[in-house]
Amino acid sequence: MTPRVIAVCGKGGVGKTTVSAITSHELFRRKDRRALIIDADPAGGLQMALHFPEGTSINQVRVETISEIKKKNRDKKDLARGIDYMLARALIEKGHLAFLSLGRPEEVGCYCSVNTLLREAIEELSGKFDLTLIDAEAGIEQVNRNVMKAVDYLLLVSDTSAKAVKVAETIRGVAFKHGDKRKAGLLVNRARSVEELEEIRGRTNLDVLGRVPEDETIRKFDGQNLSFFDLPSCPASEAVIRALSVARILD
Amino acid sequence: MGLFDGPVREIENFVAGKCESAGCRKLPIRRYRGWPSQDTLILEEETAIELGNPKEGSLALLAWAEEKFEEDSVVLIGPDLAEIGKRTAPFAQIVMVSGCFDEGYHCFCELRDAVYDARLKGMMFRVMPSRQMIWIRINQDALDHGLSLGHLGSALIEALSEVPTVSGVRVVFVTSGEHDLAKLSAPAARIERIVGAMMKMTEEMRYDCDGCEYRDVCSEVAELKKIRNRLKEEKET
Repeated sequence: MTPRVIAVCGKGGVGKTTVSAITSHELFRRKDRRALIIDADPAGGLQMALHFPEGTSINQVRVETISEIKKKNRDKKDLARGIDYMLARALIEKGHLAFLSLGRPEEVGCYCSVNTLLREAIEELSGKFDLTLIDAEAGIEQVNRNVMKAVDYLLLVSDTSAKAVKVAETIRGVAFKHGDKRKAGLLVNRARSVEELEEIRGRTNLDVLGRVPEDETIRKFDGQNLSFFDLPSCPASEAVIRALSVARILD
Repeated sequence: MGLFDGPVREIENFVAGKCESAGCRKLPIRRYRGWPSQDTLILEEETAIELGNPKEGSLALLAWAEEKFEEDSVVLIGPDLAEIGKRTAPFAQIVMVSGCFDEGYHCFCELRDAVYDARLKGMMFRVMPSRQMIWIRINQDALDHGLSLGHLGSALIEALSEVPTVSGVRVVFVTSGEHDLAKLSAPAARIERIVGAMMKMTEEMRYDCDGCEYRDVCSEVAELKKIRNRLKEEKET
């Protein structure tokens, strides 16, 4: 089955955002499905990489909803409609892609009901798209918070370090409990050779999708803050696209 | 005097004024029945017309009247979808119902669900009832197949006729511009206050009126007082 909700996860600094940006560009180029792209990293790296303008973030929607509650509106259905409206307003669209950013947490305090309504609204919104791509926060915190309940494919990214591979394994273990049929695949970034990739394949029980080589074009795009929507075909982008095909994400 | 009689009268006066100046027309409901219902995602690039975009004005009002409506009706002030001639337009959707609504806020919620859960294929709805905002996108395919605001009005009437307390429905759409939406701001503010007061007394169940922000509207609208007294009695028994 073609995965519909894909989360790109891994240790900090391994290249998740680059993989997400290349994937977004490929989805845009193919024009064959409507995709929702969510930058779930509060640092907002994907938004920068894709040059999406700053708009309303999911966290700002949360703050606005809390303010509705403070103004005495506690009607759950009304709040849910309001969240749906605010999320639609927060979407930044480019062709058949729509983008949402998580943003930074701005309101302290426990508003579990708002978080639940918000999660349900995002799940419902995501359900209307052919594919949802989530560029997750580094580490396993979001996995623990059940944000990825609806995810049906974990695209794990690591570099060649044992620590990064271990974090990827931990994320898979936390997100998908034993017996879970959902799939995960590991993409090894900055691997210098096939031998290095094979060495990693030998010491992990994760499905290894492939390696992404160091690439001067990516370095240039990162260094000069160029939009990944303008990224030309390069060894790194070709490797990511190959891995997406192996994972059947682009079927 | 009914709960929303004041603002409903103001809206009716506004519509009557528009009809006198030939600025409005009645849409034949029967002709517009049967458009398929479907929850549609419409992205910006697929949008042919956008009504009430957050950057433009929009108004979504719902109220009931004491007087029984002789017949269901849909009135359009301004151009219909095929005549708008531009990609975006300010928009108001006003739904007024007649019937028996003794249950106050519970009745309002039931009506609100019927109105705002209505869906039409080729139309995407976003509503924020607490702020009286509505935002609709229509795709090209629906427009090419003749989708009209008459279909929306007809679907609203159909949805509301399922509510047992409703005996008649009047739907008014305004696409004529910001200036007409502005003329509705006074009844809109009044409806917002009445609904807010109803919601508060239903959910908070406290009867200390001295510090209440809705004291003014409760003093003016006798029906609100009745609801309050009934709720208080219910609590005490």
